[in-house]
Amino acid sequence: MSDHDFHPLVKQLLDGDLTLAELPAELRAEGEEALRLLAAADRTPVSMPAVTWRVMAALERRRRRIRPWLLAPALAIAAAFILWIWPARLTAPPPLVTVRFVLVAPDAKAVSLAGTFNQWDAHATPLVRAGATGVWTATLSLPAGQHQYAFVVDGQRWVPDPGAPAVDDGFGRRNSVLTL
Amino acid sequence: MLTLLAVPLTLLTIQQPGAIAQRLAGRVSPNVAALVEQLGTAGSARGLPVDPLIQKAIEGSAKGIPDDRVAAAVRRVATLLDTAAAALREGGLASDTLAITAGAFAITAGLSANDITALARVGARPQALTVGLRVAGTLAALGVPPAENIALVSVSLRSGKSAADLLLLPADVESEVAKGLTPAAAAAGLSRAAAAQARHGPPPGHGQERPHPPAPPHP
Repeated sequence: MSDHDFHPLVKQLLDGDLTLAELPAELRAEGEEALRLLAAADRTPVSMPAVTWRVMAALERRRRRIRPWLLAPALAIAAAFILWIWPARLTAPPPLVTVRFVLVAPDAKAVSLAGTFNQWDAHATPLVRAGATGVWTATLSLPAGQHQYAFVVDGQRWVPDPGAPAVDDGFGRRNSVLTL
Repeated sequence: MLTLLAVPLTLLTIQQPGAIAQRLAGRVSPNVAALVEQLGTAGSARGLPVDPLIQKAIEGSAKGIPDDRVAAAVRRVATLLDTAAAALREGGLASDTLAITAGAFAITAGLSANDITALARVGARPQALTVGLRVAGTLAALGVPPAENIALVSVSLRSGKSAADLLLLPADVESEVAKGLTPAAAAAGLSRAAAAQARHGPPPGHGQERPHPPAPPHP
């Protein structure tokens, strides 16, 4: 139809604005031809199987590119995040409990406390002598849980707390136990 | 694919060797540090805690114990952790490092692997069981025999006592002992009281809601 350059009135005929009878006599032949061409046009829906097939094939190729073994590292990283990093961030630290340690050692020059809470550092937690009574004390805030400890008298003598339960330390001595 | 997934996961759950060395640096001899690293890495691959090994090594060195005895003590702790983990598994608890540490402590204090299994079979949540194991170990250190000890902690766990209440048990035993009872008798008495409380509920004013007053009669 692109080869035809119909008269504007014939175009109105094709648009349904005019009838064939309304066309001038000299244009009726042209109008009839235009209607014939219009009727001959194939109005079957256009199917493009080749295009569909190519699009689906492209999608399929992309799908095949996802290899299962590639998922393993990704899953491992996700699992590591869940198992390792995430709990570490979510787990609240245990609450602190205030504890007062007391040792009666009238002859001691210095007393300190060493245990699991201070990496067994015999110098980290000194006790304070209360006047001339020979009573040594220290007050600490410790995380809830279980701690083992001993007093260190004059920097060399490891003494279990006489006021607390004790267990074998594995070295022939006793460690005091504090369960908070 | 599962194998490929398991490998990185296993690597991630293993204690980082550098972390062990870092904690031991300057605190123990190189030989002891190497032993702890070896035992710790192997143990953590089996889900065992590493901290008790590090603590025992540092403790031994701080106390001036010769290396060979420190090494022997560290090996003993590793064995205890294995024993505790197996006992907990037998009782139905999957790997839980805090519970394993508490179980190892309880064995050190005088309980057996069977005692640990018995407590695990109570079916308490891991957190409550961990507290129960710590308390059982403390009771053992106070001289409470295993039978009375396990009975008391088991009934307390079954009755759903809070961690705070469980932690009071050693003080309760000490209080009864101060009155003249033996540790066994004190624990047995507390067990009976806890069992009765579990059957009949707590005494008035101890956590039980007061009943609503009856509605006034209609005029």
